[in-house]
Amino acid sequence: MDSKPSVSPDLRPAYLPEREHQRVKILVAGPMGVGKTTAIRTLSQIPTLHTEEVMTDAAVGTDDLSLAGLRDKKTTTVGIDFGRLTLPGDRIVLYLHGTPGQRRFLPLWEGIAFGALGALVLADTRRLDESFEVMDLIEERGLPYAVAVNIFPDSPDYDLEIVRSKLDLHPDTPLVTCDAREMNSSLNALIELTAHSISSVGVGVGAS
Amino acid sequence: MSRDKHQRRLLPAYLATGSGTASLPSTLDTLTALRASGRPLASYHTPVHGRVVELVTDGSLTAVEIAGYLGLPVSVCLMLAEQLVGDGLLNASVPTPDALAPSRAGRPSRQLMEEVLSGLQALRVA
Ligand SMILES: Nc1nc2c(ncn2[C@@H]2O[C@H](COP(=O)(O)OP(=O)(O)OP(=O)(O)O)[C@@H](O)[C@H]2O)c(=O)[nH]1
Ligand SMILES: [Mg+2]
Repeated sequence: MDSKPSVSPDLRPAYLPEREHQRVKILVAGPMGVGKTTAIRTLSQIPTLHTEEVMTDAAVGTDDLSLAGLRDKKTTTVGIDFGRLTLPGDRIVLYLHGTPGQRRFLPLWEGIAFGALGALVLADTRRLDESFEVMDLIEERGLPYAVAVNIFPDSPDYDLEIVRSKLDLHPDTPLVTCDAREMNSSLNALIELTAHSISSVGVGVGAS
Repeated sequence: MSRDKHQRRLLPAYLATGSGTASLPSTLDTLTALRASGRPLASYHTPVHGRVVELVTDGSLTAVEIAGYLGLPVSVCLMLAEQLVGDGLLNASVPTPDALAPSRAGRPSRQLMEEVLSGLQALRVA
């Protein structure tokens, strides 16, 4: 742990507003290289933070947290990005959590997804199938989501209706195109997600 | 958040020694805000505990932000924070009062989400 960088003394952390506020979590999920970090950087008002989570591929018993036990396990490190967006009036602070979309990171998901307003799933039309896994994970958790298709220079020109059917989306699930490098475009995707989360209140979500 | 799956997470070796509470799943949310109470560290606190307390001496941060600033995994930070809250060195505040409503599984209320929506719309116009 001594090799970990500590906060440099001149860097004052971006503290939370002193006035009473509520904090709300939104996930930004999707396969590798789809634009999660970019979207979070675009939306965040503070320098984005990054953590490395350590996981084992095999289940580790609680009595197994010894040094010897750790050395014997195959561990994976998973990076998570965090961004923060304070809404006008300082009454609500949104946290954007960039989450890796693979099922093997499920233990990580449980804690990160808890209490989220919903998830923005990013998709790339060149490899739509790579978003399936994360969509499944989110659906299993009963979390509302919207899909934002990021358009890359060599992306095929897809009709959103075709994308919708390829992704096998529920008719109510919002599907938008998004440029994760652009503020208004990224905000628009969050707006679609939030409107959808509101309309799905009481339709069985979070009941489990 | 007392889910069994949390117990699968690995702890760095330096936390595996000492406190027997380290393997308990955290009761704190990742967005719990933490601030130092002013109470001094005790001899059984580690340097990492000290860095957490120092970071939130002048203001509040959530557990995920503390993890980001200190280069710790979130799961580890949650456990450190939980110990420090238990020892009275940190004050904790829940992310939203709704987090206490089990029927919504910790998710924001409709009213809160409507405020989020209008806030986002206001930002877009700006
Ligand atoms: N044209 C275009 N490029 C994008 C967009 N979003 C991201 N990119 C670019 O795609 C590359 C990968 O984006 P990242 O944000 O790093 O992707 P990521 O999902 O965080 O990737 P991992 O963390 O590796 O999973 C970067 O070079 C971005 O500049 C977009 O909406 N449009
Ligand atoms: Mg990334």
